[in-house]
Amino acid sequence: MLEIGPIFRSLMRNKTGALLIAIQIAITMTIVVNAVFIVYERSQKMQRESGIDEANSFYLSSSGFGSNFNAKVTITEDLAALRQLPGVIDAVQINAIPISGGGWSMGLKTQAGVEYDGVGVAVYMVDEHGVNALDLDVIAGENFTATDVRWREPAQSDWPNDVIITKAMAEALFPDEHYSKTVGKTVYINDTEPMVIKGIVDKLQAPWVGWSRVENAMLSPEHLNNDATRYFVRTEAGQRDAVMQQVETFLAERHTGRIIRGLNTIEETRARSYRGDSAMIKILTTVMIVLTVVTALGIVGLASFSVNSRRKQIGTRRALGASKGAVLRYFMMENFIITTVGVLVGAALTIGLNIVLVEQFDLTPITWYYIPVGMLILWLVGQLAVFGPASRAAGIPPAIATRTV
Amino acid sequence: MLQMTDVKKVFRTDLIETHALRDFSLQVDEGDFVAVTGPSGSGKTTFLNIAGLLETFSDGTYELDGVNVSQLNDKQRSRMRNEKIGFIFQGFNLIPDLDLFDNVDVPLRYRGFNAKERRKRIEQSLDLVGLANRMKHLPAQLSGGQQQRVAIARALAGEPRFLLADEPTGNLDSTMAASVMALLQDINARGTTIVMVTHDQVLANQAKRNIFVRDGQVSELSTGAAFPNAAIA
Amino acid sequence: MFIYYLRLAVKSIKRNPVLSGLMVAAIALGIGSSMTTITVNYLMSANPIPEKSHALYYVQVDSWDPHNAFNEDDIPNQLTWTEATNLMAANRALRQAAMSRTGGIMEPDNKDVKPFEVSARLTFRDFFAMFEVPFLYGNPWSARADEKREQVVVLTKRINEQVFGGVNSVGESIRLFGRQFRVVGVLDDWQPMPKFYDVNNGAFEESEEVFIPFMLKEELALPSWGNTNCWKAPEGDGFEAQLRSECIGFQMWVELPTLEDKAAYLDFLHSYVSEQKTLGRFPRPMQNRLSDVMTWMEDQEVVADDAQIMLWLSLMFLFVCLLNTIGLLLAKFSGKASEIGLRRAVGASKGDVFLQHLVETALIGLVGGLLGLSLALVGLEGIKSLYGEYIQALAVLDLTMVLVGLVLALVSSVAAGLYPTWRACNIAPASQLKSQ
Repeated sequence: MLEIGPIFRSLMRNKTGALLIAIQIAITMTIVVNAVFIVYERSQKMQRESGIDEANSFYLSSSGFGSNFNAKVTITEDLAALRQLPGVIDAVQINAIPISGGGWSMGLKTQAGVEYDGVGVAVYMVDEHGVNALDLDVIAGENFTATDVRWREPAQSDWPNDVIITKAMAEALFPDEHYSKTVGKTVYINDTEPMVIKGIVDKLQAPWVGWSRVENAMLSPEHLNNDATRYFVRTEAGQRDAVMQQVETFLAERHTGRIIRGLNTIEETRARSYRGDSAMIKILTTVMIVLTVVTALGIVGLASFSVNSRRKQIGTRRALGASKGAVLRYFMMENFIITTVGVLVGAALTIGLNIVLVEQFDLTPITWYYIPVGMLILWLVGQLAVFGPASRAAGIPPAIATRTV
Repeated sequence: MLQMTDVKKVFRTDLIETHALRDFSLQVDEGDFVAVTGPSGSGKTTFLNIAGLLETFSDGTYELDGVNVSQLNDKQRSRMRNEKIGFIFQGFNLIPDLDLFDNVDVPLRYRGFNAKERRKRIEQSLDLVGLANRMKHLPAQLSGGQQQRVAIARALAGEPRFLLADEPTGNLDSTMAASVMALLQDINARGTTIVMVTHDQVLANQAKRNIFVRDGQVSELSTGAAFPNAAIA
Repeated sequence: MFIYYLRLAVKSIKRNPVLSGLMVAAIALGIGSSMTTITVNYLMSANPIPEKSHALYYVQVDSWDPHNAFNEDDIPNQLTWTEATNLMAANRALRQAAMSRTGGIMEPDNKDVKPFEVSARLTFRDFFAMFEVPFLYGNPWSARADEKREQVVVLTKRINEQVFGGVNSVGESIRLFGRQFRVVGVLDDWQPMPKFYDVNNGAFEESEEVFIPFMLKEELALPSWGNTNCWKAPEGDGFEAQLRSECIGFQMWVELPTLEDKAAYLDFLHSYVSEQKTLGRFPRPMQNRLSDVMTWMEDQEVVADDAQIMLWLSLMFLFVCLLNTIGLLLAKFSGKASEIGLRRAVGASKGDVFLQHLVETALIGLVGGLLGLSLALVGLEGIKSLYGEYIQALAVLDLTMVLVGLVLALVSSVAAGLYPTWRACNIAPASQLKSQ
């Protein structure tokens, strides 16, 4: 191809500027490729579904106080009243809210005994309305009935006889069997206490979005006899905000000896739980763009300078018969050579930084094709950046060769 | 004033050695006006650079005002240039974004004069070249001849005993060239020693003394024509 | 001469406004981004109690499951009720406080103030002296209050303002958890950052709103608002059974002024655990630990991974910006070659030329640094809006950070300027004086 040799030799005689650009490109590539990878991973994580009807659900807390507060009566009446409200599909008392960050976890075992390993699982205590309120599909077995549901007293430590688990949990407990075959099997909670799998639901995430087993969840059929409790409400599409406004005063007026607070939609909860991830995505995206612009401007700056200081030489070349295109190609090719050195070093640095990130911060190793794509992008950035100065170089008139000043 | 004995200057690259000066010997006395002529590549400019302490030499001795300059370090050489030597260049070499005042100020700054002293000298020397009323102008606002006179003012502001001029009229038309030449003769008449490199024999003839350089050596000495003091144009 | 160089620098910067602008922008962006992340990391890793962080120790013993370690190879991060009360009763440190988080409803006597929910810290009186908690009114409760489980409370300044309008409320009565409590003290502003004494609910959460004697946990059967972890189900039902189970949910700090004190306390823990082993508890190998404040903060990974990743990326970003500046400075200074040649000819030494250009570089760095600091302010605002309220206190530029930012800008721009400046002052004067 055209004059790579002379361009390369000319670069070698004036290494510093070229080297600076090459290192800049290498580091830019290192940051950008790793950042893109982190951004991609985080957005994958954020796109996971919780399994509940996020757009139309909300929750709130009710804390009773005073000696004449009767939790059992209030909860029973509250739930009956809430379920009657127009716009409400279903409501349920629940001990923890999916993807909210706070909850209760246990271990389930397929064999009784402390010596066996358990599988971690998030526990949701709900009554027979839980499946409907949380918008779950029972894909095997069946839902709880009202008679399955018991009252859990404060600090009671035993468990009901039945349990509904997610498909993911069924597969984690019985990796060799189809999930539908696990219905009716006995699992053990608290090492030795048996629970029979009554049903399998399609999907329900745990409260902790950063947990590696976020898909493992179970429903336990019980109400909690507690002065402080939480209600989860699912509304008709589009009715959520109207119902929310209504529910707060409705509940507060039903019983004055309590405080209604913590009214939150699942959408807000999701935003808060993933706030760190979404912030990271925005910050890294900004950094990538600014960094690429800085590097591109650096290339423009140095290329402009190199063109200016070689005006006479360029004019002479033109006088000796080089076409405008040839001058343009010269500078484009020069940049290509520099960028190539940069992206090759950059590829190595990218892997290096990724190894550090994996070791220090438990990130995932980068997927291989990010590297060639990153190289391509920086080649493109380099060529785009140098195009302006190169066209100016091509515009230098041959007459400049004969001028003395 | 200036005493060069067997000065050699060799430029080396990987492939060739160029002898820019070979056994160059020259003596310039106090108050002299020497014109150095010679063909391109004869070593005139190298001689001037060495004489002005801008370059070092490979061999031989050079005494300026009684000081053996080959012993000096960069700082001492800089000091000597600043105090004893004034330069005038073909391209004037004014700093484009400084006004005339600040351009003449440049050597005085390195001299360490106080502000009052600097102002006095700048005004005096610009007055001498007839540009005192344009002190706040930028070089680009002046003609070539005026620019060269600013450069002369700058060279004189430090009251050097020795003025080196490199093709001082090379970029000027003949009228301007004549006036600059007349100014140089006037300065010489006030006692400043001048060495001027030129390839213009007519100009050279106006100096007190002519030397001709060829192949890095002084090949011929002749005494120039006597000349009358010219008024400042 | 410095003023002269400064004037020359300004002229030179004005001569190539675009090139100078690029350099200032590059430095400003680099400084802005790194100062933003440095500030967040600096505040996250701040020592919350610098004057005595080395004398305060977090107590850990391994009471966990014989079959599995608590967390990979690590020992439990909290104590059981049994250990918390036993170690407190042993009273072997200069000061000591077991603690945990709870909460409930506060009903002011003043009916204009509606009942509301408060978070509470259950702890011992030493908490206040040990952590140098400032009091606005009153004092910590007495040792007797700890022992006799008296219903006394210390309020934060904010709660005192909310309930009592900010007046001295010591001696007043207030209804809490459905019981009458007597106010013994009101705190002045106090918010350790990070909230080192209990990082379970987030290291940068607010401190609790009221403080009450630890043993009221049992007396009033108060709920747990922190993390509780169990490896074994409680034996039997009811609050007492759960409290006395092997579940961990309590923190404990001790103040041990000297290393001898620390060694003695470790000996004591050793003998305590040995004794418990004879009672059939502590089935795992003996492993006890005392961590001082900063060690504990490190162990609990208080500085978020994301913050560290961003710190490293932004430092690399700064490096790219500096490379950029080096390149642009080289370009700029080589455009000044003839001026430099002239200055050398009329008597400037290399040192003079070097200084002149160093001043120019430093000026660019300073302007870039100032601009970078304002970018950092913007960046911190951005961080606040992205992360929400919990990070408010972590996104503030204090004087130290402003100085760090300026010094970083100056040092890095001068470092970037060294090579171009060195090249500039080594320009051979003679080569630049011919007019071609």
